[in-house]
Amino acid sequence: MNRRFFLKSGGVALASIGIMSVAPSFLERVAQAQNVTGGRRKTLIAIFQRGAVDGLNMVVPYGEKEYYELRPSLAIAKPQAGNRDAAIDLDGFFGLHPSLSSFKPLWDSKRLAIVDAVGSPDNTRSHFDAQDYMESATPGVKSTRDGWLNRFLQSKPDERATPFRAVSMTQNLPRVLQGRANALAISNLADFTIRAGAYSQSVQGGFESIYEKSVRDVLGGTGRETFEAVNYLKKVNPAQYRPENGAQYPRGAYGTALLQIAQLIKAGVGLEVAFTDVGGWDTHVNQGGARGQLAFRLTDFAAGISALVTDLGKRMDDVLILTMSEFGRTARENGNRGTDHGHANAMFVIGNQVRGGRVYGEWPGLKSDKLYEGRDLALTTDFRDVFGEIASKHLGNTNLQTVFPGYGLNGSKFRGLLG
Amino acid sequence: MSSLKNLSLLSTARRASALCAVLALLLPLFGPFSATAQKQQSQKSGSRLAEDQRILHVLNRLGFGARPGDVERVRAMGLERYIEEQLYPEKIADAGAEAKLQRLDSLRMSTPELYAKYPQPNQLLRRMQREGKLPPELAAAVEERMRSNQPNMPAQSVQSNSGAMAAQNNDAAGEGGRDNQYRRAIRDYYLQNGLRSPQQLVAELQASRILRAVYSERQLQEVMVDFWENHFNVFAAKGADRWLLVSYDRDTIRPNTFSKFKDLLVATAQSPAMLFYLDNFQSASPNAQQRRRPLLDGPMRARRQNQQGMPDAQQPRPQQQQQRQRRGINENYARELMELHTLGVEGGYTQRDVQEVARCFTGWTIRAPRGAGGADSDAGTFFFNERMHDDGEKVVLGQKIPAGGGMRDGLMVLEILARHPSTAKFIATKLARRFVMDDPSPELIARISAAYTKSDGSIRETLRAVITSPEFNSQAAYRAKIKTPFELAISAIRTLGGETNGGPAIHQWIARMGEPLYMYQAPTGYPDTAEDWVNTGSLLERMNFALALASNRIPGTRVDLSRFAGEAAQAGVSGGAIDKARVMERFIGVILNGEISPQTKLTLTGQLNAPLPAPSGPPAQAADFEGAQDDMARRGGRGQRQMARADTGRVVGNPEVVKIAGLILGSPEFQRQ
Repeated sequence: MNRRFFLKSGGVALASIGIMSVAPSFLERVAQAQNVTGGRRKTLIAIFQRGAVDGLNMVVPYGEKEYYELRPSLAIAKPQAGNRDAAIDLDGFFGLHPSLSSFKPLWDSKRLAIVDAVGSPDNTRSHFDAQDYMESATPGVKSTRDGWLNRFLQSKPDERATPFRAVSMTQNLPRVLQGRANALAISNLADFTIRAGAYSQSVQGGFESIYEKSVRDVLGGTGRETFEAVNYLKKVNPAQYRPENGAQYPRGAYGTALLQIAQLIKAGVGLEVAFTDVGGWDTHVNQGGARGQLAFRLTDFAAGISALVTDLGKRMDDVLILTMSEFGRTARENGNRGTDHGHANAMFVIGNQVRGGRVYGEWPGLKSDKLYEGRDLALTTDFRDVFGEIASKHLGNTNLQTVFPGYGLNGSKFRGLLG
Repeated sequence: MSSLKNLSLLSTARRASALCAVLALLLPLFGPFSATAQKQQSQKSGSRLAEDQRILHVLNRLGFGARPGDVERVRAMGLERYIEEQLYPEKIADAGAEAKLQRLDSLRMSTPELYAKYPQPNQLLRRMQREGKLPPELAAAVEERMRSNQPNMPAQSVQSNSGAMAAQNNDAAGEGGRDNQYRRAIRDYYLQNGLRSPQQLVAELQASRILRAVYSERQLQEVMVDFWENHFNVFAAKGADRWLLVSYDRDTIRPNTFSKFKDLLVATAQSPAMLFYLDNFQSASPNAQQRRRPLLDGPMRARRQNQQGMPDAQQPRPQQQQQRQRRGINENYARELMELHTLGVEGGYTQRDVQEVARCFTGWTIRAPRGAGGADSDAGTFFFNERMHDDGEKVVLGQKIPAGGGMRDGLMVLEILARHPSTAKFIATKLARRFVMDDPSPELIARISAAYTKSDGSIRETLRAVITSPEFNSQAAYRAKIKTPFELAISAIRTLGGETNGGPAIHQWIARMGEPLYMYQAPTGYPDTAEDWVNTGSLLERMNFALALASNRIPGTRVDLSRFAGEAAQAGVSGGAIDKARVMERFIGVILNGEISPQTKLTLTGQLNAPLPAPSGPPAQAADFEGAQDDMARRGGRGQRQMARADTGRVVGNPEVVKIAGLILGSPEFQRQ
């Protein structure tokens, strides 16, 4: 038998196989993860724009005259040669905010798809509730204990799973990854170690041997696994990382998070689900148009994703980047040159396997009788249709009833983002 | 597509059957082993604990672990008497802990006072603007901010890169942003007018929980506060809840920890914190709304809404009014009341019951729920708004609730639920899981729930049934629970006789290990079994916490290892001069009551002889305890970021001694209780 088995917590874990109760050692799994014959490991990178980005100025429906009527001071001008403040044309109707110019090559090479008029069917306009629903993927139901990405992990048992199967580059584990399946929150890879200054090595050795010798229960098993992961990451040497292909990540927590996700992917540690978030989208006041507050945030947002795609290069064959935000913003600008909490929004889906160069979802339009509750972009795609398609087609988990309970999701609701 | 699906189904099936085969292979291997284990297990569960073990067990389970001398003290007074005392916390003198709480002013303020003293900046500015009282410096800063095209962050926006902690770190958003001037103006105004940042409120409440758990003589009271605040979970980062939680802890939970469950249930149902968290405050009968709409159109409506403080801090300005018109029944509270607070998910209610219960609670709301910028002297208090109430007849769990009952409807529901056998069983299960073991037997649950029913839901009597059960006092329960991060942090400080100010730095460690207080988002509260607490990331942080504590690297928290290790604990004492074996024995005695597995002990002994690298440079100094204490008031909720910068991992004190203490605190043995 060439696999080491351990019982994470005796009989309890046996009852729930899939929580890594039975698994080969970390190193063996990493080796396997790198040499999978029947299909390479796929990775999803989910980026949450917390605070509700203004989708209507991110993906501009410039072909709609109501857009300009509703937003006299915020609207982005129609595409126009030589005007750097104008929308960047995509398909003759939609355009990108000029701050997203680095997405244009991805669109042109059909690696970027947009889903528009997408979101949660729940009508809440509370950031808190809407984020909660987007992360639990059970709109309207608050008591769902786990996040959908965690249920994704639970319902796709993976003998090769490493501790790095699901990593959130955040200070705390976000709702979307909370649950029974192992998921890591790391604010900085350099912190994922025993921290005792000059004595770290020696103290770590002490803990390692204590946990190595300890009884084979939940603590002993997890302890051994922890140190295998710590030691592996040390060899990867996060501090020495140099992005490839001239990729330049933006400074700050968001750029660093994306850079370290790229690092984990390249290190082959078995990353399947990565998550991070970025804020500053709650533009009630002085939102700006082609320039200003939102433009500034979008520049940073796009720079991070572009750097990630550049850095990963050919690896984007197996990586999919998905962006989301809890709801959109009011179609009409408010009295403070800003926008308030709205309803449907836009998502970006990026990857070499994506059927890009298209805007998915029916466009409901901005005529007043088409607006949701008379004020917001209406919803035509449930976010679970997008999540489900990615979980199923990109990550190979067809157990959609478990990941999206009570929704009755099946392939017929998919938008066809992936082949 | 379908063939793809079949393929992957097939491979899942293949994997599953492979797994079964492997397990079948393994069973013979494990056979003798598990038989022995089972025998040990049955011997264990059959035998009662030795007296000193029982004392320790009680100090761990009915409290947050033993301080030096506690075992002797309890032995001297008698364990039964100690337990009896703990069941009546109000009779235990607790001046020491009370003194530690003195500097946390917010704990003693009413909710309207909190709104006034800890105003949300945007809301405060709007109110001053409206009243024409905006001071010129602030007006200039606001004007500048409006004019500038630079990015700015509304203080209430939901920020990033911290997941569930997001909303707590609002003030982090603009730091490094370009509106420092605006921020400075706000800060100066706050300083000059004795106002404080709302972020500080949650930090003070968290500090109060830590301080009480460490210092209070009413240990069981603190355990029950932890239990009930988790059972009736409220998330501090939801809207107004950070202002409402102070009263929730003080006026709703603490007076009712040992009361009749029904009283606790009524208190939570009427608590503004819960009403806000589960949205009941905005639940209104659609009929009632139609009735009042004609009355309230136009300016009158706007005025009334202002008086009620309806303006929403998160959704400012004109759109609010439109949004608030989406009024109607909100079922959230009704559902969670039955699923999570009383009957349990399989407790025998239907969606129809949820709807009926929701109707009963229409009109249970909050006056000026978001504080009205400190302008309303009744802000944030419970009131029954008849005009929102659905006054028709309802049927709940088969019982008729007659029309015209008004506020009595909700009270009747709570009565029905508190008396329901499913509630008895649900509460019994949660108590047994918390106090005895992760998987309590059906027999134990039945006995506890019988005690609940017999005592008409007396929490004290129910708890007594738990504590006196043979299961609680069995070897099988001894050290069978994995400590929660909160329990681990507190018990580590207590076992070393340490001191803490409960400040953001120590709380941040609890958060890193996975249990930030008042920061669990879902109404379920934190789960309570080993599987949920032990994972790679959190276990690593538990070890790092042990080291940080042992080397006095947590600002505002201090342990004195020399108390146990004598001179040897001082920095600069050379390794050769320490009787390492003696120091180790001492710590094993203090931290683990001498109960250590032979393997761990063997490993520790081996570690003693492993040489440490020679220190470079002068010995590091401990984090300044007093300084950190003063500092806390200024920093408020910012401990997290300070912490991230400060945590270099340098070891303070004698590294040999720190290492021994750290390894023992971080050992598997100390993770259990």
